[in-house]
Amino acid sequence: MRLNLPAFALSASLLAQTSSAAVDFVKDVQTILEKNCVSCHSAEKSEGGLNLTTHSTAFTTGNNPPAIVPNKPEDSPLYTRTIVPNDDSTLMPPTKQGGPLDHTATETLRRWIAEGADWPKDLVLKTRAKKSAGDPNSDDLALVQKIHDQIIERAKADNKFGDYAAKIPKTGASYQMVAIKGGEFLMGSPPKEKDRDGNEGPQKQVKVSPFWMGKYEVTWDEYEPFMITPIDRFKNGTRKDFDPAAKYPDVDAVTSPTAPYVEMSFGMGQKGFPAISMTQHAANKYCEWLSAQTGHFYRLPTEAEWEYACRAGTTTAYSFGDDPAKLSEYAWYSANSNEKYQKVGKKKPNPWGLYDMYGNVMEWTADQFVPDYFQRLKSPSANPLVRPQTLYPRSVRGGGWASDAVQLRSAARLGSDPSWEQQDPQLPKSIWYLTDAPWVGFRLLRPVEIPSVEEMFFYWNSSTDKF
Amino acid sequence: MDQQARQTDRREFIKYAGAATALSALAVPRVFASAGADHKLQIALVGCGGRGTGAVVDALTAASYPIKLVAMADVFQHKMDESVTALERQYQATPDLVHVPDEKKFIGFDAFKHAMDALQPGDIVILATPLAFRWVHFQYAIDRGLNVFMEKPLVADTPSANRMLDLAKKADAKNLKVAVGLMIRHCRARQELHKRISDGEIGDLIAMRAYRMHGPVGSCFSTSRPKDRDELLWQIERFHSFIWASGGLFNDFYVHQIDEVCWMKNAWPIKAQALGGRHFRGDNVDQNFDNYSVEYTFEDGSKFFFDGRTMIGTRNDMSSIVHGTKGSGIVSTSGHFPGNCRTFKTQNQDKESTVWRAKQPEANPYTMEWKDLLEAVTNDEPYNEVPRAIQACLVANMGRMAAHTGQEITFDDIQSCPHVMSPGVAEFTTGSPAPVLAGPDGKYPVPTPGVTVDREYGTA
Repeated sequence: MRLNLPAFALSASLLAQTSSAAVDFVKDVQTILEKNCVSCHSAEKSEGGLNLTTHSTAFTTGNNPPAIVPNKPEDSPLYTRTIVPNDDSTLMPPTKQGGPLDHTATETLRRWIAEGADWPKDLVLKTRAKKSAGDPNSDDLALVQKIHDQIIERAKADNKFGDYAAKIPKTGASYQMVAIKGGEFLMGSPPKEKDRDGNEGPQKQVKVSPFWMGKYEVTWDEYEPFMITPIDRFKNGTRKDFDPAAKYPDVDAVTSPTAPYVEMSFGMGQKGFPAISMTQHAANKYCEWLSAQTGHFYRLPTEAEWEYACRAGTTTAYSFGDDPAKLSEYAWYSANSNEKYQKVGKKKPNPWGLYDMYGNVMEWTADQFVPDYFQRLKSPSANPLVRPQTLYPRSVRGGGWASDAVQLRSAARLGSDPSWEQQDPQLPKSIWYLTDAPWVGFRLLRPVEIPSVEEMFFYWNSSTDKF
Repeated sequence: MDQQARQTDRREFIKYAGAATALSALAVPRVFASAGADHKLQIALVGCGGRGTGAVVDALTAASYPIKLVAMADVFQHKMDESVTALERQYQATPDLVHVPDEKKFIGFDAFKHAMDALQPGDIVILATPLAFRWVHFQYAIDRGLNVFMEKPLVADTPSANRMLDLAKKADAKNLKVAVGLMIRHCRARQELHKRISDGEIGDLIAMRAYRMHGPVGSCFSTSRPKDRDELLWQIERFHSFIWASGGLFNDFYVHQIDEVCWMKNAWPIKAQALGGRHFRGDNVDQNFDNYSVEYTFEDGSKFFFDGRTMIGTRNDMSSIVHGTKGSGIVSTSGHFPGNCRTFKTQNQDKESTVWRAKQPEANPYTMEWKDLLEAVTNDEPYNEVPRAIQACLVANMGRMAAHTGQEITFDDIQSCPHVMSPGVAEFTTGSPAPVLAGPDGKYPVPTPGVTVDREYGTA
C-alpha cells in the first residue's frame, strides 16, 4: 500500500471548509425557526408578543424587543434563551415543546446573528412539522395531568397516614412503605466527625414534610417486570404500537426501559435482591409507572429527606452510634458483602424501621450533586432540593456493597459519573442502564402532600437525555 | 474429502485459534509515517445502528493519530438521523471530528459503495450492517484498497464463510488491515488469563461452560410484519429474528462467549450435539428458539457446554468458566466487560483458593480493539482477524445447526453444508424479494429438529 499524498491534502481543505462557510438564512436558519419556533410565534399565535414569521416582525415584536440584535448574539434572546439550563423557565423552546435545541442548531443561530442576521425581506415563514425530530413520546405533560387527577381523586377516599404494604397491580409484586412524620433536623456532619468530607457541611437546620419511605430498597421482584417487557419500544421507551386513540391505560403510556443487551443482575441474584444499574431516569420512570397504576404519587427522595430518614433522629455518624465496628449488624459493605449485593432486609433496621439505609446498594436521590450543597442551604431551610441542570453528577446516598465504612455514614455524599455507563458499546448510549454501576439502586418515597402537575412532571422527567 | 486431508485441514484451522494470521514475512516499509504532518485518517461508517455508531466513538477514543468521520451509509434514513444526532451530541466540543456533509450521507442498498468511494486507499471503513451483507461490503472495501473494521458475527452460512476466507487472502495480498469486532480477544485481562492457562496454571482444560441467559433483547423476537412495511427492509431492521440476516440470536448473542472459551482451550471443537426449543412464543413469528443447550466436543475428548436462554422471569446468567486438571478459571464473570477474570486452585472457585485475579479497573476492550487495529495501520504490521473469526462463526453455526436439526453436527458437516441462506444478496435492492417468507399463518420457517435435518429450516 502506498499513500496518495495529494488526496490527503484535498481532504484537509475539505475539513477547513465545513467550519468556516457563512451561515445562509434559507438553507440553515429558516428550517430551525419553522420547525421549532414559528408554531408559537406567528401572527396568529404570538406568544410573548413575538412574531417570527417575517423580517419586519422578527426584529421588532416581542414583550421586550428586539429578540434579534444583528452581530450581537449575546444580546439576542432568540439565541441566548436557547442555551440556558434545562430547568430555567426562560428556555426556548421549552422542554415541554421539545426543547432544548441541539448544539448544532444553537450554534447555527449564534453564527447567523454574529454574521449580521441577514433575513431576506419578502420571505414568510410557516410552521413546519418536525420530521422525526425524535421518536413519538407517549409520556408527556398530558399524561402526567391524567395521572395527577387520578391521584387527587384517590386521595379523597384514602388519606390515612400509617405504614402499609401493597401489591403492584400489574405484576403482583409486593412492597412496603413506612410512614415518616415530618420534622426538623440538623443536616450534614460536624467538623469533628471522623473521616468526614468537607462537602458534608457546614451543618444546617432543615425542615422536612411528612412522607412514606420504602421499608426496603426496590428489589428485582418489583423492578424487573417493569424493566423487561415483551413489548417493542423506541429508545425513549414509548411502545412502538402506541396509539393515542386506542385508549391505553395510563400506565401503558409511561415510557419504560428497552431490553438490556446484557444480563443486568451481573450474576448476583434476582429474587429478593435489590435492583441495580438503572439510570436515575429509569428510577424516575419506575416511580411514574407505579404511581400511574396505584393512584399514589411516588418519586425519589431528596437528599434532605433521605438523610432525615437515615438519621432517624440521631446525630452520630451512624444511626447506631459512632463506632463502625457495629456496622456489620446493620449493613452489607466491603467488609462483609463477599463482593456482591445481598437480599434486602437481612440486617437490623434503623430506629425508624428502615432496612439497608447503609450499604447493599447506593440509593439515587432527586438532587443534582453539588459540593457546596450546604453553602447553598439557608438555615433553617424547608424541603430543600437542588434542581438538576446537568445529567451528571446526581446525588446518591448510603454507600453500597463495595463501599467502605466511611462512605456509609449518614452524612456521606456521592455524585454519579459518566464512567458509570462507559462500557455500553452502543451510541446513543441507553438512557435506561448504567452498565458500570452494579452498586446503585433506589428506594421509593411518597410525600403526604400531593404536588402540582408541573412538580410531578419535574420529578419524573428530571433526568431525560435532554442534557 | 479423505481422512488424511480432513486431518490436515483441521490442523490448519486449529492453528488460527491462538492469534491473528501472521501472514506476511515480507519486510514492509513503514509508509504511514511519511504521509505528512497534516494527514488525517478518514473513516466511513456503513450501517449506522447503535453498534456501528458506537464503533466510530471507539475509533476516535482509541486514536493516537488524527482521525475523522467523512461518510455514512445505511438503508434507513431514520437510522442515519439517529446516528448523526448521537454523534453531534457526543462531540459537541470537537464537531469537526464527526461532521459529515449531507452530500456524503448515502441511503440505499448501494449506499455502501458511495460511502467507500468517499475514502482514499489506506483509510478505514466500518462495516456494521447485519451480517448477510458482510462479504459484499468486504469485497468492495478490498477493491477500494481500504482497511476494514467489521462487526461480528460474519456469516450465517458456510458458502459465505468460504467467500470471506477467499476475500481475507485478497486483503492480505493487498496488505490491508482487517479487524473483527470480537473485542474480548483484545481485553487485556483475558489476554493475561489466556497466557496463564496456556502456561499451565490450572492444568489442561477438561470441561468448559458458558451461559447467556436473560430476557429478549434487540430484535430477536418479532410479531407479524406491519402490512405497510416492505418485507425485505423489515427483515433487515429486525435482523436478530432472521437467521439469514444475523445468524439468529444464537450466533449474534453467543459467538463472543463461544470464541473466548475456545481461545482459552487453544482449540476449536470438532463436533456438537444440542437441544433447543420454543416454549412461550405466543404470536411471535421469528425463527429463533428461546432456549439452546449445546455440548461441544474437542479433539482431546474434553467438553464445552453452552446454555442460552431468552426468557422473561427466569434466572439470569452471562458467564464463562473453565475447569482444568489443576484448578479452574473465570473467563467472564458477568457480561463482556469487565472480565473480572480469576484463576483458582479448586473447582468450586471460593475466595480462599484464588490464585490470580485481573487487576481492576480494566481497560475497555471496545477501545482496545481499535487501539490494536490503529497501531497495525500506522506501523504497517500484518493484521487480519477474519480467518479466526470465521472459525468462531462456523463453530457457532455448528452448535446452532445441531440444535435446529436435532443431529450431531461435526465440523466437517458444517464446513461442507451447502445451504445458502441469502441467495443474491449482492444484488439486493429496494423491492427485492426477502430470503424467507411467512407461511399462511404469518410465521416464518421455524427449525424442526428431526424433521428437517439437512439444513436448519425448510422453505415456507
